[in-house]
Amino acid sequence: MASAPTATAPARPTGATAPDRPAGAVRRRQRLRRALTGWAFSTPFAVLFLVFMAVPVVVSLVMSFTDLRSTDLRNPLAVNFVGLDNYARLFGDDLFLRSSVNTLVFVAVGVPLTIVLALAAAVALNSGLVRFRALFRVGFYLPVVTSIVAIAVVWRFLLDPEVGLVNNLLRLVGVDGPSWLFDPKLALPSLIVMAAWRNLGFLMVIFLAGLQTVPAELYEAATLDGATRWQQFRRLTLPLLRPTLLFGGVVTGIGYLQLFEEPFVMTQGGPLSSTLSVSYHIYNQFGFGNYGYAAAGSYVLFVAIVGLSLVQFRLLGSRD
Amino acid sequence: MRRKHRRLAVVATVALAASVALTGCGRDSGGGGEQARPVGEGRASGDITVWAMGAEGEKLADFAKEFSTENPDAKVSVTAVPWDAAHQKIASAIAAKQTPDVSMIGTTWQGEFARTGALDPTPDIVKKDDFFPGAWDTTLVDNTSYGVPWYVETRLIYYRKDLAAQAGFPDAPKSWDELKAMARGMKEKAGATWGLNLQPGKTGSWQSVLPFAWSNGATVATQDALTFDNPEFTEALAYYQSFFTDGLSPTDLPEGSLEPGFVKGEIGAFISGPWHVGILNEQGGAGFADRYAVAPMPMRKSSTSFIGGSNLAVFSDAENRDGGWKFVQWLSRPEVQVKWYDAVKDLPAVQSAWDDPKLSGDPFLATFGRQLDNAKAPPAIPTWEQIAAAFDIEVEKLCKSNTDPAATAKAIQEKAGAIGTGS
Repeated sequence: MASAPTATAPARPTGATAPDRPAGAVRRRQRLRRALTGWAFSTPFAVLFLVFMAVPVVVSLVMSFTDLRSTDLRNPLAVNFVGLDNYARLFGDDLFLRSSVNTLVFVAVGVPLTIVLALAAAVALNSGLVRFRALFRVGFYLPVVTSIVAIAVVWRFLLDPEVGLVNNLLRLVGVDGPSWLFDPKLALPSLIVMAAWRNLGFLMVIFLAGLQTVPAELYEAATLDGATRWQQFRRLTLPLLRPTLLFGGVVTGIGYLQLFEEPFVMTQGGPLSSTLSVSYHIYNQFGFGNYGYAAAGSYVLFVAIVGLSLVQFRLLGSRD
Repeated sequence: MRRKHRRLAVVATVALAASVALTGCGRDSGGGGEQARPVGEGRASGDITVWAMGAEGEKLADFAKEFSTENPDAKVSVTAVPWDAAHQKIASAIAAKQTPDVSMIGTTWQGEFARTGALDPTPDIVKKDDFFPGAWDTTLVDNTSYGVPWYVETRLIYYRKDLAAQAGFPDAPKSWDELKAMARGMKEKAGATWGLNLQPGKTGSWQSVLPFAWSNGATVATQDALTFDNPEFTEALAYYQSFFTDGLSPTDLPEGSLEPGFVKGEIGAFISGPWHVGILNEQGGAGFADRYAVAPMPMRKSSTSFIGGSNLAVFSDAENRDGGWKFVQWLSRPEVQVKWYDAVKDLPAVQSAWDDPKLSGDPFLATFGRQLDNAKAPPAIPTWEQIAAAFDIEVEKLCKSNTDPAATAKAIQEKAGAIGTGS
């Protein structure tokens, strides 16, 4: 209903109007036909949107205020309305708190790390210093299009304490490597590195596109004024790239707050719950049949995502 | 447009909330204490729809053709469902009242699904006494049976005979002390890196811990009580933990290194189910089958192991309920159970099927068969999966960060108590 050409569309000069009818009635009929055409085109979208987006969102919100469990499935009307109980329970659930801390650490370390690495890769590829640019571009982008399952197999092999490549390299220099994914202190950092590696390519492509919109004359002028490469980067590239950085930060932030795949395929949340994420916890609760409780967790996560995005808009958004 | 949507959302929310609030004056307990309806006489007829998971889902359609030769008017249609998707698929089917006639049900899901009221109580054409008691218990919810055990598995100690001999135990370890001493001897005298592999937490470790607790006389969970915090359970936890604190069991064995470690003699023993016989014989190559053996769980007050497997249930919304039960009854016949073992190597849940020489003549299988007489499952309560997950987390702390066993027992009791039995 939004963009469809409804009755407000500018009237086109009409062709042959029947001379024996008053012009007003014709115009009205035409207006009605246009309106109907508009509705006809937009209704399928509206129905699909309502059925598959709006209704589930509303239902799940209502669900989060009930004690709906999988055992109530055949008799959903026997469910009790429990107000904010589920939300209160979340903050007394030590696994939820633990998963929140893990997720926040992941975001706080992962987002800046990914952005810095992606920006470095993009600048390097854009500078002309790097040869075989196409090769590197493909190389960095490859993890983005590879299935996480295949990536997990490779990374588990890389990080294997006995036969893994990482520890074998460490052994070459005389260091006895730790068991990365089995050590509660190292498992989350290992996953952060893996996620940064995996998401770097996507951001790099975005940043590269952003870099290419910066006019070359600006750099020429800056060079003539005697600005060093670092100064050019600080004073020219970064400010001009701000909208792109904002986009990258928001997208990466949302993705990392919803962290699920990496712990799911690599560590199953262990060891000692050190890689349990909020999404993973919610997933488990759905699995246990605690639908109301899990829905409440989803809305807490949703609020966190909105909050983080707002902060990023405040920090990086346009200051004009 | 935006305002219109908002108004619609408000209407929908109010309608839903109202319907929930108005009718939500008490949870319908559903399931339990129901009377089983009789099943009609004669041959089965009509279309019988069946859902089955894993290897069973792939092989059952062919296998069921024989049922159709006995019951010419009946046709069995099998849908293979991946295990990962099965729980959700069955739950959705129950919600939408679009269930098949028969489905395989994981033993730990039995309580949850029976509570929805979607499972049909087991009629008397199936006889309780034909099955292993531990397996039958997994179908009971509030003393009513809601399904039939189809196949079973239980856990034994796999040990290297050569290493055991060097450790001073040419025969199987028979008691807790002997198991410990054998593990120590394998490490110190026979050169194994690890004496006995035990699960240090992670998914399903409760299945490794509970047999020790049961063997020590602990009763940790019934249909209406969760009692993990007791001396017998704590003692079992302390025994389990000692394998890790004494350096006899690895805390972080990478996935997939158990079998090669056992074949190489780096791991002297481990506890597992019947599926490992095939894996070991394949990985060990010719002659390896002679170098290891299986032994019952070590004796304490009893020698009790874990019983797992899968059940078959008929849904109360089934279009062909009688046909479904007749098919389930057919699958429970001893001779059909032996044939099914031949087809997919699933161990029969029907006791008399084990008299067949195919099973009783095989020394490995015979030991599994004997252990099945003394094997238990957790009660079929709707919340068991969730309690088990909390249990696994505490076991991991016990094995990896050296928590006090009494504190572990207490923590499991607190978590399980908060989750409740779902009734």
